Amino acid sequence: MKNRGATILAIIGAALLILPLVVHDTFVLRVLTEGVMWIGLAIAFDVIAGYTGYLNFGHGAFFGIGAYTIGILMMQANLPFWAALPAGGVAAAVVALIAGIPTLRLKGAYFAIATWALSRAIQQLALNVEFTGGPDGMRLEAFLNPQFFYYLMLITVGATFAILWYLLERAPFGLKLKAIREDEEGAKALGLNPTKLKMQSFVLSALPTGILGGIYAYWITFIDPSSTLGDLVSDQAVVMVVFGGMGTLFGPALGAILIFAFKTIFWAYLSDFQLLYLIILGALIAISVIFIPNGLWGTMFKRKADATRPQHQPEPASEPAALSAVAAPEEGN
Amino acid sequence: MAEPILKVNSVTKCFGGLTAVDDVSFSVEKGEIVGLIGPNGAGKTTLFNVISGYYAPTKGSVVFQGNDISGKPPYHLAGVGIGRTFQVVKPFAGLTVLENVTIASFLKHPKKADAERHAWQVLEATGLADRANVSAAGLTLAGRKRLEISKALALEPSFLLLDEVVAGLNPTEADRTVELIMKLKAQGLTILIVEHIMRVIMNISDRLVVLNFGKKIAEGTPAEVSSDPHVVQAYFGEEAA
Ligand SMILES: Nc1ncnc2c1ncn2[C@@H]1O[C@H](COP(=O)(O)OP(=O)(O)OP(=O)(O)O)[C@@H](O)[C@H]1O
Ligand SMILES: [Mg+2]
Repeated sequence: MKNRGATILAIIGAALLILPLVVHDTFVLRVLTEGVMWIGLAIAFDVIAGYTGYLNFGHGAFFGIGAYTIGILMMQANLPFWAALPAGGVAAAVVALIAGIPTLRLKGAYFAIATWALSRAIQQLALNVEFTGGPDGMRLEAFLNPQFFYYLMLITVGATFAILWYLLERAPFGLKLKAIREDEEGAKALGLNPTKLKMQSFVLSALPTGILGGIYAYWITFIDPSSTLGDLVSDQAVVMVVFGGMGTLFGPALGAILIFAFKTIFWAYLSDFQLLYLIILGALIAISVIFIPNGLWGTMFKRKADATRPQHQPEPASEPAALSAVAAPEEGN
Repeated sequence: MAEPILKVNSVTKCFGGLTAVDDVSFSVEKGEIVGLIGPNGAGKTTLFNVISGYYAPTKGSVVFQGNDISGKPPYHLAGVGIGRTFQVVKPFAGLTVLENVTIASFLKHPKKADAERHAWQVLEATGLADRANVSAAGLTLAGRKRLEISKALALEPSFLLLDEVVAGLNPTEADRTVELIMKLKAQGLTILIVEHIMRVIMNISDRLVVLNFGKKIAEGTPAEVSSDPHVVQAYFGEEAA
């Protein structure tokens, strides 16, 4: 089972790597690049939303902050792209750290509203200060190499996926975040510090998002407050994750692929009906929440009974042995 | 006698104008089971919340293994050896029973595989192993109470606070939990337990502390306490006294 999953992943990975050698159509490559980007945005969003239970309606702000950081550093400080790119991730992470202090105290809808308001404030800021170019936006030096951006996006998202997979599914961190999501007060009694874990989660969500924003800016070569700091990035991330399956990595990835494919096809044939697209997105959220609360992935792959139970008890008198493992009071202090 | 593991020194806890715990002092010796009893609203759970770090005392202090722990956060106290259960159970409902316990096992077993192995041992000991892969939301009340105990035990505490882990169970389930508690005592664990069921609390406690309206009204062996006129009055009202 596990091996089959790994094989499928390896085949998909290999296919994605050799794709540009086969596909020379720049439009197709462009769509693929953006699709890969959305996978990255969705899984990063799910760290705080799905694993930790804090629905961040300002996720797009991290994307925009990354984009603007790269734009400003390249065009105003004349830094090369590679020097500017990490700064985009760091800037988003720092904003998450600062924004997290007041907002992560809030619960449920209050957190969603606060993060949404904060992202609106950041957009207003970008519209009204000089160094961002205000409403006219900012043009970056053009580097027109579709293959380069495809591979850069693929490697960044691949690395993000691998790191998140390790931290959230292999290491204890993911389960600890889920404990916070399920019951913060109860988690405290088990030695978990909710404030610290929520901060770590928020930063971990913001960092790759800022980097993806930076790559996006250099790729598209033009950024303005409505394209990178608007609601659309947050809204689409929410739909992708809720539809795909919160609290998993494959769910949001699947959601991202399906929603982005739908958007691309819709845009190609029905570009006059943009409002309809938004209505369908909204309906999709409602339908997923009502009929498939675990999302597509969670519904397709119900958790299998874990086969980790020790098969052979080493000691025949298993109960006292197990108990002594449980109750080990400290002696002599 | 050695230094008591827990000393509660004149602890007062107020909520606005209400004094839920009023100048309470007592101590718990290593290896003892101390029962904390009193009518509904006497302040037992509030006192548990002060000892386990959920509330800072308004006045007074709590000393654990010689260190003043008053006002320290619960996650710190879990680390120094205080495990607790919740009267209103707090399962991580969206996670499996095994995952619930594994999260507690992380405290002493930072590697996931080790923590999982440890969680299995705890579940075997508490009798929940057969339910390990069930969602915690799917447990019965008895199962949830057992899960509370399992999570507290997975911390490998030296001191355990049990808040009504027997109440609401049928007699068979209650006996199993009492048996488990006695086994833990035999392992050397120190336990402070709140319980309304007299049959249980009188049998398992070495000593009892009685609260009424936030005040300590009696302390002593079960025999001493049950013949104490203050206690009889608190439980059965004026006429009985
Ligand atoms: N967070 C709180 N805010 C305000 N009042 C509280 C709070 N917690 C408890 N109280 C009040 O403090 C008093 C003591 O409550 P507590 O829960 O400690 O009693 P208890 O002895 O555990 O009762 P029971 O046997 O019913 O569990 C009650 O009057 C209760 O209403
Ligand atoms: Mg109570």
